[in-house]
Amino acid sequence: MKSRRNILIVIAALLALAIITPFSSSYVITLITHALVFAILAMSLDLLLGYTGLPSLGQAAYLGMGAYLTAILASNYGFGLGWSFWAVILLGMLLGAATAAFFGLFAIRATGVYFLMITLALGMCVWGLAYRWNSLTGGDNGINLPPRPEFGISLANDVTFFYVVFGFFVFTLATLYVLVRSPFGRTLEGIRERELRMRILGYNTWLHKYIAYIIAGAFGGLAGVLWAQMNGLVSPEDVILTTSVDALLMVVLGGPGTLVGGAIGAAVVTFLRDYLSTLVHWWQYVLGGVYVLTILYLPGGLIGIPERVRNWRVRRGRKAAVPSH
Amino acid sequence: MKEKLTGRLGWAAGVACFALGMGAGTLPASAAEELRIGFLAPLTGPFAQIGKDMANGFQLYLDEAGGSFAGAKVTFVVEDGEGKPPVNVRKAEKLIRQDKVHMFIGGLLASTGYALAPVSTRQKTVYVSSIAAADDLTQRDSAKYPYMVRTGWTSSQPSHPFGQWACEQGYKKIVTVAADYAFGYEVVGGFQKAFEDCGGRIIQKMWPPLGTKDFGPFIPQIKKDADAIFTLMVGPMALQLPKQLKDAGNKKPVIGGGTSYDEYVLPSMGDEVVGHVSALQYSAAIDTPKNAAFVKKYRSKYGKVPSYYSESNYTTAQMIHEVLKKTGGKWPGAEKFVKMMSEIRIDAVRGPVRLDEMRNPVQNIYIKKVEKKKLHGYPQDELWNTVIKTYPAVGQFWKYGKADFLKQPVYSRDYPPCKYCE
Amino acid sequence: MTEPVLELKSLSKSFGGLHAVRGVSLQVMPGDRKAIIGPNGAGKTTLFNVVTGVLPATSGEVRLFGENITGWAPHRRTAAGMARTFQITSLFPGLTVLDNVLLAIGGVRKMKFVMWRFLSSYRDLYEKARGLLEKAGYWDRRDLEVRNLSHGEQRQIEIILGLASDPKILLLDEPAAGLASGESREMAEFLKRLDSSLAILLIEHDMDVVFDIAEHISVLHFGELVEEGPTEKIRASDRVQQIYLGTG
Repeated sequence: MKSRRNILIVIAALLALAIITPFSSSYVITLITHALVFAILAMSLDLLLGYTGLPSLGQAAYLGMGAYLTAILASNYGFGLGWSFWAVILLGMLLGAATAAFFGLFAIRATGVYFLMITLALGMCVWGLAYRWNSLTGGDNGINLPPRPEFGISLANDVTFFYVVFGFFVFTLATLYVLVRSPFGRTLEGIRERELRMRILGYNTWLHKYIAYIIAGAFGGLAGVLWAQMNGLVSPEDVILTTSVDALLMVVLGGPGTLVGGAIGAAVVTFLRDYLSTLVHWWQYVLGGVYVLTILYLPGGLIGIPERVRNWRVRRGRKAAVPSH
Repeated sequence: MKEKLTGRLGWAAGVACFALGMGAGTLPASAAEELRIGFLAPLTGPFAQIGKDMANGFQLYLDEAGGSFAGAKVTFVVEDGEGKPPVNVRKAEKLIRQDKVHMFIGGLLASTGYALAPVSTRQKTVYVSSIAAADDLTQRDSAKYPYMVRTGWTSSQPSHPFGQWACEQGYKKIVTVAADYAFGYEVVGGFQKAFEDCGGRIIQKMWPPLGTKDFGPFIPQIKKDADAIFTLMVGPMALQLPKQLKDAGNKKPVIGGGTSYDEYVLPSMGDEVVGHVSALQYSAAIDTPKNAAFVKKYRSKYGKVPSYYSESNYTTAQMIHEVLKKTGGKWPGAEKFVKMMSEIRIDAVRGPVRLDEMRNPVQNIYIKKVEKKKLHGYPQDELWNTVIKTYPAVGQFWKYGKADFLKQPVYSRDYPPCKYCE
Repeated sequence: MTEPVLELKSLSKSFGGLHAVRGVSLQVMPGDRKAIIGPNGAGKTTLFNVVTGVLPATSGEVRLFGENITGWAPHRRTAAGMARTFQITSLFPGLTVLDNVLLAIGGVRKMKFVMWRFLSSYRDLYEKARGLLEKAGYWDRRDLEVRNLSHGEQRQIEIILGLASDPKILLLDEPAAGLASGESREMAEFLKRLDSSLAILLIEHDMDVVFDIAEHISVLHFGELVEEGPTEKIRASDRVQQIYLGTG
């Protein structure tokens, strides 16, 4: 009952977004599209952080893989500029998954802060490659992409591109939603809560974590493909630690273990970073303040606010109902 | 429950209205007699101070012009690109879409230039590259960026005459030590080409990573039979290398690319750099009344001697003003503006400037020696980049001719190959 | 001749120079109710951890239905019919009672890797969980998060989780730990009601519970089995009194 109501709210919000966005100014459209791409990355990370309890600091690596693949295919081979765009999407997800499958061999054995450190180091490896492998990645200049793909529809049109990204966002949300409610998804929560018990109950927890890590990598790769098309530029700056930290903060800010929370976090961070920064120069303090306040006072993230308000109302209602002496 | 649901929808609608409101707040595309200029510079991060110098240069000219160019009121919007190419791209998109700017100016690093030029093509908006010096923007890739104009320089532009000059000083063998990135490759590449074409030999090329502070591993490797050391440093690197060379007992002449000794780093340097020689299209010590006046104005307003970061943007503003004078304050449209801009000839602070057919400046290149002296009427002894030789009207192709020059690949870590290194 | 469900053959475990378990041999037949007792630090929990595969054995063998499982990972042992509970409650505190049990049931099923349909669509799983929870009287509280249950209730859920994988042998690590005396009697009753074909091996501190449930007792002292026999015999043994109750 409760979850059905929540689903309805999410669907209503998505519909509203789909209907209203085209009427916004062209800058707002790009901001929303930008937030949606990062929402995909944040949700992929939420699968690890919120559901499996794995705090990865290397999610930018998969975004980078998808983005560089897209840029290299497009600028060196002219591939992915028509219908083959869909092939690039698939390849980007595969490359993200393959990278995660490789990195996972090192990362999954560790837990807690060690997992954090290893994923951070692996993420830096990808950044190092992007920065140093000049002949392939263009070094610190990065790669400029040719104009966005065209296949009957032209993705160069902002509204069209928004709908395509929106579609991928909904696809990611729906897929991950089914996943976390599937038998497999529930095992991830069990691992988060108490891994040792899961092993005793007959689960090969390493394998479950490994699979989750690969899936998260695949969606990270998807975000990367869209990111490359969004900016028309792929640079080592996209793969740098800041991107991974941003993704982590988006999840923590919105509310881990909810998927939608990651999307809300992505929207808030994108807005603060890209819009507030054009208004005031001390926007970084605002961002920092929001993070600190959320972590201190809203452990469940922004998505926990309605629940808190309800509880507060109930408490106040009760107090009011007590007759005064 | 239904009530709650509608409550939430109300929220969503509120957010949506806000989004629409942001859209409605933007300006109409072509208000008469107004010129909207976007400016991209790093205002946070390690390059923040340079970013401020850039914006200050433009602002100074704008203030002198009374805030309007030939009757067109100038709206000057500065955005923070954080020194990161993707952020610059997003901020440029914001300037174009939200502020509806007629043109955007700036970008510090070469990588930023490469990132911003395609935005100008995509959005059919003028981009004036006042600092970013990546060679190919106005060379091999020039055709891709019809809306781009450069008012600064190409990285290798001062290096060509400088190579010639070094050769004429009688240096036969030179070692290069340069920051390991595209800008370093281009500055060193131009120097090597001109120097070797004149008969000199580059006998060793070292590439410390960008941001290196400890040159301990590099200095002892410098070949003993070199006649001089050519350096290309940026930011804090520039302060460290001369000190460490001196501490290591170096007696060889040290020469370098413009950023190794520009007025941005010079005030932080000590006597160890006295006598070092570099080349650039600007020096605060140029001995003309025009420059003396500029230095004094700038220094009294911002408290420091202007570097080329400021001069270049000051001159950019002047050039835009010249175009607007011809149109009577009307925005002529992006294509027309680019065309008119490339026909402008001005007498700038740095000297005479005009643009070549690939829209890169043809200008004086100054060979400058660091000296400690009094200048422009200031009472104290200070370090100045005294001009010791002027190469007039230097273009980006030097004496090679456009067609021949463009046949060779862009300067890189491996080009020109180091024929005399072993 | 029936085969032992679980057989330990001179099983040892050392941590560096410390010999926590030394040469323990033991057989558990189907339906056996055996207990291992011993003072604190006797090595009981270490022994359990080696038997269930949480810790690797230093030497010796663990056999389950005659098969040598000494090097197996815990999850394989569970699949082969071994289940255990923990002295310190090891539930999934943030999940509901029902989800706890569903996870426990799913551990030995192939559907644990299914990602494309909701867990709630597996009716048989639900029915089984319902059976387990109804029997134990928790069905009406199935949607409560486990962390909100009392300690005694959590101890019982702990055992329900152990039963969920349909084990042939259940290893109970101090099921009555931390329970008040009334609660521990309840626990003993709860254990006695379990299927009589299920073999149980338990470690317990609470002697009332042990004497109530176990038919056969082994005494562990400094990692070694020093005494074993039917409950009555152990109860009467002077040596056990000395070891276990200090001087007695």
